[in-house]
Amino acid sequence: MEDHLSEKSGISGFFSNFGTAVAKGDWAVKLTLLWWGAGYARRKQFVKALIMTALEAGVIAFTFLFAMQYVPKFGTLGTVQAEQVFNMATMKSEWNDYDNSFLILLFSLFSFVVWAAAIVVWMRNVVNVYRLQLQAEAGRHVNSFPEDLRTYLDEKFHVTLLSLPVLGVVVFTIIPILLLILVAFTNYDQQHMPPTNLFSWVGLNNFISLFGGGVTANFGYAFARVLGWTLVWALFSTLTTYIGGIFMSLLLNSKMVKWPKLWRTLFMVTIAVPQFVSLLLMRNFFSNGGIMNTICADIGLTGFLRDIGLISTSYIPFLSANGWAHVMIILINIWIGVPYQMLIATGVLMNLPGDQLESARIDGANPYQTFRHITMPYMLFVTGPALVTDFVKNINNFNVIYLLTQDVFTTTNQAMANAQAREVDLLTTWLFTLTQDYYNYKMASVIGIMIFVICAVFTLIAFNFMIRGDKEEGYQ
Amino acid sequence: MSSKKVVRKVLFNLLIAFLALFWLIPIVWLVCTSFSADSGMNTSTFLPRAWSAVHYAKLLQSDTVNQFGTWFLNTFKIACITCLVSTFFVLMVAYATSVMRFKMRKPLMNIAVILNLFPGMLAMIAVYFTLKTFNLTNSHIGLILVYSASSGLGYLIAKGFFDTVPRSLCEAARLDGCNEALIFLNVVLPMSKPIIVYTVISSFLTPWMDFVYSKMILNAGISENYTVAVGLYRMLDRSLINTYFTQFCCGGVLVSIPISILYIIMQKFYVEGITNGAVKG
Repeated sequence: MEDHLSEKSGISGFFSNFGTAVAKGDWAVKLTLLWWGAGYARRKQFVKALIMTALEAGVIAFTFLFAMQYVPKFGTLGTVQAEQVFNMATMKSEWNDYDNSFLILLFSLFSFVVWAAAIVVWMRNVVNVYRLQLQAEAGRHVNSFPEDLRTYLDEKFHVTLLSLPVLGVVVFTIIPILLLILVAFTNYDQQHMPPTNLFSWVGLNNFISLFGGGVTANFGYAFARVLGWTLVWALFSTLTTYIGGIFMSLLLNSKMVKWPKLWRTLFMVTIAVPQFVSLLLMRNFFSNGGIMNTICADIGLTGFLRDIGLISTSYIPFLSANGWAHVMIILINIWIGVPYQMLIATGVLMNLPGDQLESARIDGANPYQTFRHITMPYMLFVTGPALVTDFVKNINNFNVIYLLTQDVFTTTNQAMANAQAREVDLLTTWLFTLTQDYYNYKMASVIGIMIFVICAVFTLIAFNFMIRGDKEEGYQ
Repeated sequence: MSSKKVVRKVLFNLLIAFLALFWLIPIVWLVCTSFSADSGMNTSTFLPRAWSAVHYAKLLQSDTVNQFGTWFLNTFKIACITCLVSTFFVLMVAYATSVMRFKMRKPLMNIAVILNLFPGMLAMIAVYFTLKTFNLTNSHIGLILVYSASSGLGYLIAKGFFDTVPRSLCEAARLDGCNEALIFLNVVLPMSKPIIVYTVISSFLTPWMDFVYSKMILNAGISENYTVAVGLYRMLDRSLINTYFTQFCCGGVLVSIPISILYIIMQKFYVEGITNGAVKG
């Protein structure tokens, strides 16, 4: 092993540096393994020694005063059911000292994250102390505390910049995702709601019932239906708005248009209105007794559709019947999505390689040929990745489905109703209804994990495919 | 110009006008209905039978269901705080990943890509359990945390802009004895006006445009705490829609006007940010 620390990044570099430090460090470095401030004290960096000692004390206090209340119960998620007992001393009914399964799960997870962070700090600390030893032995200048502080505005400025945002992401994204993954393996639902009831680990049961096993096959059936519609929806909504957006931006960027800016702004108004206004309005526009139905009845469309047997009601069930609702949702989404794609496509078109277009024109290519051989391949190349993210976004497109069909569409299929799903639900809206209206957190978590798996697999495949066909140089 | 060309040009513009008209039908309906004299939905004619601005007046006087003024202030308050926090987070992360070089840069950016694959709602459901445990649901603090805490993940557009700031300027400042913090504040930020405006407006708009998170967090609370989105959604409850539909439309118009203006300004700065970058780089 060498004396100096490797500059290699990554996990292996980190561990090998730690190994070097422990093996080659002097007594102070070795003592640092136990007392975090030792190495700094030896180099007379007393403020740092104090900070590290306080940090170590904090971790120890956290472990014994806080984590130990919850982590030992992590295996069972609590055993003491909440009960009211009559206290003879105060002559009142009081709650016993019960276990709250959710708090046990949450705080255990939190403790694991804190410990993981503490281990990283501990290892880095030893490496830093060893680096200090090397500096001192080589007779180089050892930073004083103010000098150390100043590096956080200079070469370590990124630490200053990133610590708060990263903390926010850890607490509000990473820990919740881990928590959700854990909940998927428990029976946390309406019958097992803390604090009055306990929940416990159930292994893979929830996944089994999602794939059609378990007591009733309802969830398996509903999952297959909802997943199928989610994929169909994502495919159609992505393609229609993409093609429509390109078409519209070509129209608006044509030299023949008068006032292109005015038209673009008009189309933009439709996306600038918040979706909860525009979609809720659409829902009432197309409701069973709504204005669109009146118009259709007046022009005789309703009667015609009834005559050919497409509907059996006195109105057209635009958003309230199977099939009709699916088509309408995709059509209404065109209205919402096309102006948005138009904006993106316009940005891309403005950056078209002008010289290529020019030479094509000189060579006598007609507009269709230019579009087919220059504009379209360029568009596909630039917007390809966006197409993938759009697909993923549409898989999770909550607003369109929820705002258009909630309270309007009710399922008549018993098996779907038993699983609290509807034919028009996407996985996300199903998950939302399960948590908000039925408190079925365990199944919601399983569905959440499935959504992630689907999105991740799709993205990976698509990006691999695109990287293989990478023609980046061709356009630069 | 030949007459054939003129005809083609006219037809072409007519097509666009027709499309624009089609796209604007719902907006026109919204505005017209908001001036209806009836409170419920008019289902027999496209335009209201009698015109009146009385529902705007009604909307601005609170009653048990409608507290539009309070909702508007609530949303404004939430939007301001969210805007402040998110703008700082986004610009900080963007600068660190764009201009600075450090060991964890690539790994952190890869983690961000993976995290962005998780639909935001997944994490939010777990956040919801957690906030509920600490009694932070139905409160504005919970909602602000939900909007702003993870906003650092949306740094990519701002990073793309900072990437185009010439490195030679940073180098020159460094030779003059500036440290990283001074370069960030005195060199890079003053050159980044378009992207700062874009970030400020887009994070200010998040709470105004959002429906799902506010519904999730504030759903069970009292009407006074609602944001505009939840409040207007409630007005269309089956039992309320016949009394409040026109007021819903008024509310929709009132909230859409400032938002649309901001949105259109934001798009302008977005385009400016991108094209400016191209010129400098």
